[in-house]
Amino acid sequence: MPQTLSTREANLFRTVIRHYEDKQYKRGLKAAEQILKKNPRHGDTMSMKALIMNSQGKTEEAFALAKEALTVDMKSHICWHVYGILYRQHKNFDEAIKAYKFALKLEPESQQIQRDLAVLQVQIRDYQGYVQSRFAMLKAKPHLRQNWTALAIAYQLEGSLEQAENILTTYEKSMTNVPLKTDQEHSEALLYKNTIIAERGDIKRALEHLESDCKNCLDRLAVMEMRARYLGQLNRKEEAAKAWRALLDRNPEHPEYYKGLIEALEIDEKDEAALKAIYDEYAAKYPRSDAAKRLPLNFLTGDSFKAAAKSYLTNMLDRGVPSVFANLKHLYSEVAKKEAILALAEEYLKEHKGSEQANGDSSKGVGAALYFLAQHYNYHLSRDLAKAMEYVEQAIELDPKNVDFHMTKARIFKHQGDTAKASETMDRARSLDTKDRYINSKAAKYQLRNNENEKALETMGLFTRAETVGGPLADLTDMQCMWFLTEDGEAWQRRGNTGLALKRFTTIHNIFDIWQEDQFDFHSFSLRKGQIRAYVDMIRWEDSIREHPFYFRAALDAVKLYLDMFEKQQASANGTNGTGEATNGEDAAEKKKAAKKARKEAQKAEREAAEKAAKQDPNKATAKKDEEPKKKDDDPNGLKLAATTDPLGDAMKFLTNILQFSPKNIEGQVAGFDVYIRRKKYLLALRCLNAAQALNPEHPRVKEQFAELQKAVESLDDAQSAKVKEVLKAKFSS
Amino acid sequence: MDIRVLRPSDIPLIQHANIENLPENYFLKYYLYHALSWPQLSYVAVDVSRPAKSAYDYPKIVGYVLAKMEEEPTDGVQHGHITSLSVMRTHRRLGIAEKLMRQSQQAMVETFGAHYVSLHVRVSNAAAIHLYRDTLGFKTEKTEAKYYADGEDAYCMKLDLAPIREALLAEQLDEKDAKPKIEEGKGSEGVDEGEAVGDVGRDPEADSKKEDKTVKVKVGRGLGVGELVERDESKH
Ligand SMILES: CC(C)(COP(=O)(O)OP(=O)(O)OC[C@H]1O[C@@H](n2cnc3c(N)ncnc32)[C@H](O)[C@@H]1OP(=O)(O)O)[C@@H](O)C(=O)NCCC(=O)NCCS
Repeated sequence: MPQTLSTREANLFRTVIRHYEDKQYKRGLKAAEQILKKNPRHGDTMSMKALIMNSQGKTEEAFALAKEALTVDMKSHICWHVYGILYRQHKNFDEAIKAYKFALKLEPESQQIQRDLAVLQVQIRDYQGYVQSRFAMLKAKPHLRQNWTALAIAYQLEGSLEQAENILTTYEKSMTNVPLKTDQEHSEALLYKNTIIAERGDIKRALEHLESDCKNCLDRLAVMEMRARYLGQLNRKEEAAKAWRALLDRNPEHPEYYKGLIEALEIDEKDEAALKAIYDEYAAKYPRSDAAKRLPLNFLTGDSFKAAAKSYLTNMLDRGVPSVFANLKHLYSEVAKKEAILALAEEYLKEHKGSEQANGDSSKGVGAALYFLAQHYNYHLSRDLAKAMEYVEQAIELDPKNVDFHMTKARIFKHQGDTAKASETMDRARSLDTKDRYINSKAAKYQLRNNENEKALETMGLFTRAETVGGPLADLTDMQCMWFLTEDGEAWQRRGNTGLALKRFTTIHNIFDIWQEDQFDFHSFSLRKGQIRAYVDMIRWEDSIREHPFYFRAALDAVKLYLDMFEKQQASANGTNGTGEATNGEDAAEKKKAAKKARKEAQKAEREAAEKAAKQDPNKATAKKDEEPKKKDDDPNGLKLAATTDPLGDAMKFLTNILQFSPKNIEGQVAGFDVYIRRKKYLLALRCLNAAQALNPEHPRVKEQFAELQKAVESLDDAQSAKVKEVLKAKFSS
Repeated sequence: MDIRVLRPSDIPLIQHANIENLPENYFLKYYLYHALSWPQLSYVAVDVSRPAKSAYDYPKIVGYVLAKMEEEPTDGVQHGHITSLSVMRTHRRLGIAEKLMRQSQQAMVETFGAHYVSLHVRVSNAAAIHLYRDTLGFKTEKTEAKYYADGEDAYCMKLDLAPIREALLAEQLDEKDAKPKIEEGKGSEGVDEGEAVGDVGRDPEADSKKEDKTVKVKVGRGLGVGELVERDESKH
């Protein structure tokens, strides 16, 4: 039987909860203990105590206590709810959902539990469950529009577009007074409904709905864009043209609008003159527009290209716009254009030679032309590094303190393969403008490319926050500076520091976990804010967040590193030079040493952190006292990671994501094969190989891997290998 | 170059551009907070000419403006605020920043009825000051001593959005003779889904010691077990 509390203790129990919510953990704990002194087996109090302990970082004890609380009071929804919260905080979502469901069974009326359950369901994309939950929540509070919208979202995500639309319509019909024109929630709900109608494929109705119901929606740009697209899709050319024109008047820098207009006007793709006329019209109307002047360079050919390119380039060089090359280099995929641009730049230089003194600003005119030519010869499609260097030196002579010129010089060194000089030169560029973080970042990057990790961190430290505990690296990690972590890891890898390399790649992996977790609060926040379309976009993006090149690059690095580690371990275990035993022994000793070192490092870090904490301003400390403890890193140098005895097993956490989220990336499939064949998972290896072959049969590794796999299964005759052999045989005979 | 409104999938590369260019950085969640609160206000400049490197290529962001509405304006006037603006050095002086700003300002008025937009800028940042004051017409409101973490002062600048408001009004008058007023308003905020987004990042303004600059983002998840228990006990 659960114990019941006296009034005094019941009050005390409420303060426990309040303290918990205010993050006054110590006080909360004290109050809980007071209750438990008299009622040592009061389940709810035990649960709350567990929750607080969990917030203080005592995970294991918290779980144990929460479990115990459940054994004394199986019928308490609080106990189950807390149990669910603990699981949820430790990302065991399935168990958390189970616990919430139990809690809800015991307390079906609880909005709180229902909401926690719903949020978790959408977080793990259990859309059917989410529909059920949102349905229940709507039934409980039908007067709230949010609840209708939420159910519609649930239906949409689940794929039931019709229901989604119906729910929104039902609510609209029930509205008694007309919402204010400034009602964000209403405005967005209408546009949201419109996207659903369009998603159902009924463009005609979507347009009608847009023109009748969404006319006054506050997101005017969205209304205009949707309308133009619908009109285009419905072949209502004349109106579409007008709609695209209206958009161009808002933003003449958006290529889609020109494209839409040209389609609506039914201009032949090959009619250069007619196309050009459109862009010219907007270039004249909006003299500050770049797109109208530059986009025609994409389709113009021959002399009209030359004329247009000349006027564009001349204008840019006269003004000394340093980014003009960046803006034109994409044209280089066409040889004729590449040559024409080069000729124009040379011509410009010849014409202006000698005028540099009169000009005054050396980044304009001649300086700009020299700089342009340096970049031209540094670009991979037109590379002549000696010429590039010549031009950049001339430019630097003209303007010795120009950051961009030095930056390009550093790039030229990089392309020459001289990472040391590249690093040095980029740092010189940095020193010319110490207030610009861009050039600072580049200097650090070049230092990393030159394996100067320590120096690079120092450079980065010029812009990171001085007060971050743990220094620049901690700041960069906190701020999720992916490029630095990746480049730093790769540099450590080149330097043979497996620990730090793995550490960085793992940090990136963990940041993606955080990014996924970041959605959590928005499931309810967005309903409150009412920006539903943005929310749905976010959900869809989050679904494949690990396909991002940031993830892929670090994950592939990690997998390759683990493969290397495995090979090394194999080599020493096999004792290729006859000292198998000894090497093995040595290896074990090495590992022991490494583990010991890891322990020591961890202790040291702990000590240092404690010291730092103690040194903090005691005034500030009071406010922060009970804050959730920042988890301390027990392996700051990755020694534990590097000490693994199962590198291939560890590689799997990266590889699984690579194969799941970037299956079309051949490098991932190739690495997948390498891991699986070493793990003797021949069917899985075959699957990677097949995928790689489908992506690019000419890839150099593909043939090699076929041979490798064949050899591996040759002498085996278990069921798996037999299957693999069969497939391989079929492949080769065909 | 393509100037368009921000999409959630742009965020990692916006964050990248930010930390590449500026010392004031934020967690991804802080960008999400902007993107999901005022999705109309933030714009990006995308380098569309780069050939895709893989099947999973993301548009390369070379510039962005991250903007918001002041949630609880101390002066009671609806206004926008520029949280962050930057352009990669390789793409500067093409007019990108100006265009990003103008798009954002337009949306501030149209979607949220903003009267003005405010921002902070380092007193030493000549390029940005030129952009704000000379190109866009911002006025320096005051100087805030030691506003930035490294001790530098900030100009607090403002731009009156009346011209955009008036143009919009005139346009609406044109469209219809009917009641064209831009009404004030906050939009209806529900009461039920009552959690804040939690700890979302490091706005230099949130970090600042001065009271009025605190970004009003509540920290914590509000597990709300309290509410639940209150109900429970009332039954006894
Ligand atoms: C400030 C910054 C955003 C400007 O971006 P941009 O795209 O190059 O700016 P624009 O091309 O739109 O230029 C707008 C105006 O500023 C001027 N300008 C730009 N850079 C300048 C510079 N370095 N010095 C003087 N004026 C400059 C331009 O000439 C233009 O003036 P105009 O209207 O008289 O022709 C960019 O330099 C940057 O990202 N800097 C680092 C980050 C930063 O400081 N952000 C601002 C924080 S508040």
